Amino acid sequence: MSTIMQYILSGLAIGGIYALVALGFHIMWSSAKAVNFAHGDTLTIGALLTIMLLAAGLPLWLACLLAIAAGGVFGTLVERFAVRPFAAHSGSIGWMLATIAIGIMIESLATIETNGYSLPLPSPGVERAVRILGAGVYPQELLIPLVAVLATLGLKLIQRHTLVGRAMQAIAHDKQAASLMGINVNAVVALSFGLASLLGAAAGILIAPVVQASATMGVLLGLKGFAVAIIAGITSAPGVLVVGLLFGVIEKFVEGYISTAAREIVGFSLMILVLLIAPQGLFGKREVVKV
Amino acid sequence: MNIITNKTSQLIYGSSFAVATLLLSSPSLAATDAQQPCIGNSAAITGPAAFSGQAIRTGAEIAIEEINQQGGVLGEELRLIQYDDAGAPPRAVDNTRRIALADNCIAILGGYHSTAAVAQVEPVHAIGIPYIGVWAANTSVVENGRDPNFMFRVSAKDKWVARFLVEEALKVSPTGKIAFFYENTGWGNGALPDVNAAMSEAGVALVAAETFNWNDQDMTPQVMRARDAGAEVVIVWALDREGNQLLRSMDRVGYMPTMIGAWGISGNLGELAGPLANGVRVMQTYSFMGQQSELGESVLARLKADYGIDDPREIRAGSGIANAYDAVHILADAIEIAGSYDWEAVRQALYEVNRDGLIASYRPAFDASDPERQDALLPEHYLLTAWHDGVLIPFAGSPYDTGD
Repeated sequence: MSTIMQYILSGLAIGGIYALVALGFHIMWSSAKAVNFAHGDTLTIGALLTIMLLAAGLPLWLACLLAIAAGGVFGTLVERFAVRPFAAHSGSIGWMLATIAIGIMIESLATIETNGYSLPLPSPGVERAVRILGAGVYPQELLIPLVAVLATLGLKLIQRHTLVGRAMQAIAHDKQAASLMGINVNAVVALSFGLASLLGAAAGILIAPVVQASATMGVLLGLKGFAVAIIAGITSAPGVLVVGLLFGVIEKFVEGYISTAAREIVGFSLMILVLLIAPQGLFGKREVVKV
Repeated sequence: MNIITNKTSQLIYGSSFAVATLLLSSPSLAATDAQQPCIGNSAAITGPAAFSGQAIRTGAEIAIEEINQQGGVLGEELRLIQYDDAGAPPRAVDNTRRIALADNCIAILGGYHSTAAVAQVEPVHAIGIPYIGVWAANTSVVENGRDPNFMFRVSAKDKWVARFLVEEALKVSPTGKIAFFYENTGWGNGALPDVNAAMSEAGVALVAAETFNWNDQDMTPQVMRARDAGAEVVIVWALDREGNQLLRSMDRVGYMPTMIGAWGISGNLGELAGPLANGVRVMQTYSFMGQQSELGESVLARLKADYGIDDPREIRAGSGIANAYDAVHILADAIEIAGSYDWEAVRQALYEVNRDGLIASYRPAFDASDPERQDALLPEHYLLTAWHDGVLIPFAGSPYDTGD
């Protein structure tokens, strides 16, 4: 019993990270029909900047705030210079290459800054493990899925009840029509990239005490987050949350009952299988194209 | 046709090396006499193990300064040329050729990454230049089946490290309840047969062998399997980041066996894991902490004077510094014995060096009659250290040394 509980709790913590990353992809795709493949690296930016600002003597809250803001600025810049120039032509995939390249540059820069070492981000949340039904988990880990749920709910509220949120949905539906209705498409798309990166940087700070901040911390998380978004159907925020959490838990059970080496094999096989059966993802709406 | 092609490609290679060297060399280097004897080092100056390139440079430079103060080698001043391989085998191979053919150095010092060192075996033998490893511990780098063998090492050897760690583990758990955790890389997978062999030599078998990947955030499933198998000691082939995740996973499930690791967890585990790292034992070749020999004190004094290291606690890669320091002195001795900079003559002379070094008394440094003795450091020279409040201290006499 305690073993199963352990896998579920550990899985929810990891799954919460996947969900947070995938949520960022969802936000970008929802407005721009393009994503920032360096999104995993916004986690690195958030975590490493916080540690550097802390080391420079800033208080924790201010360091976090500045790092998150820097993440937001980064996302906006990526949209302006690596996505918008390419996404203007339909069918262009230049933005993929450009954002992947930016991700590699960030990893290289972070490696130079850290000498390749992982750095700790001190947090009271990882000082002592707590026991739940015989399973051990750090309070910080319990916080991660909780934040993922709150972020999903918050996003829904923004999309439903704010002008910007509705504008995002309108653009996703039909860019040209939205533009004709007086929506500043470029500004809203830039905003959505900024919002996604804000979330990414915050997620990086949230998970750094558990996973340690390093130049490569975001690489696999970015990939897994994207896989989760695709499995869920990138157009559905609640779907992304559910699949993210589930994906983490499944991974732990595979590690527990088969082997660690089998984890990625089973995980990515599942992704391909889901795409074969439901190309639009488990929760995604089938996109109807009128000719 | 082949000859022409080879000549042409050699020309192209040669000239591109020359251009690259000119471009990369600082003005002072470019201006020096091409005949000034040099030692070349291909190491990671960038990439995840960038600290290692710095440590090798530090150790080698201190030794070279001492040698030059005493008149250099064969009456000439020795110098160090360092190139970055970033841990990438193709770059290490490229650097090997550049050091030998463009810079015409007397010997090559190795770097941190075993995959890079394994790749260097082939060009080193094709060219015929002596190579002295100072870090990468992979067994096959030195025990490569070549005769004559140009690969030497003043560092640990995984085969012997495995034996050393198993012996230490058996002191804690005489019944042999030992689990092995290793990273899913060439280094980790290469150690599994070494550890298994060391275990069966002692007449026991691992109760669990668990693997993990770089960047894994949680290892509770593996830890629980080791716990349920009754492991009292865990031998670890990991780097600091994953070593920390392993400790935290053990903390989560409330399982605290004795952890003994190869030197991958000797970087900043104490900083990452905090108090959880206290008592974790790590194999090293040298420690600048604790009582020092006269030579140790003099190297420390140079670290303080030239590198601004006021406190030995600040030294993160003491083993790498010490290995490089001893390797350069052994090489300088060999050059004096050979009486020339000729690669083959120096290789032969390496077997005749006897020296009291920083880490050990090398008598002789290498043994031509024993293929295992292309390694200068023997298992009895290995040192067990322990993490204590963020610093690695010698295990003997530490708070964790209960005499078991």
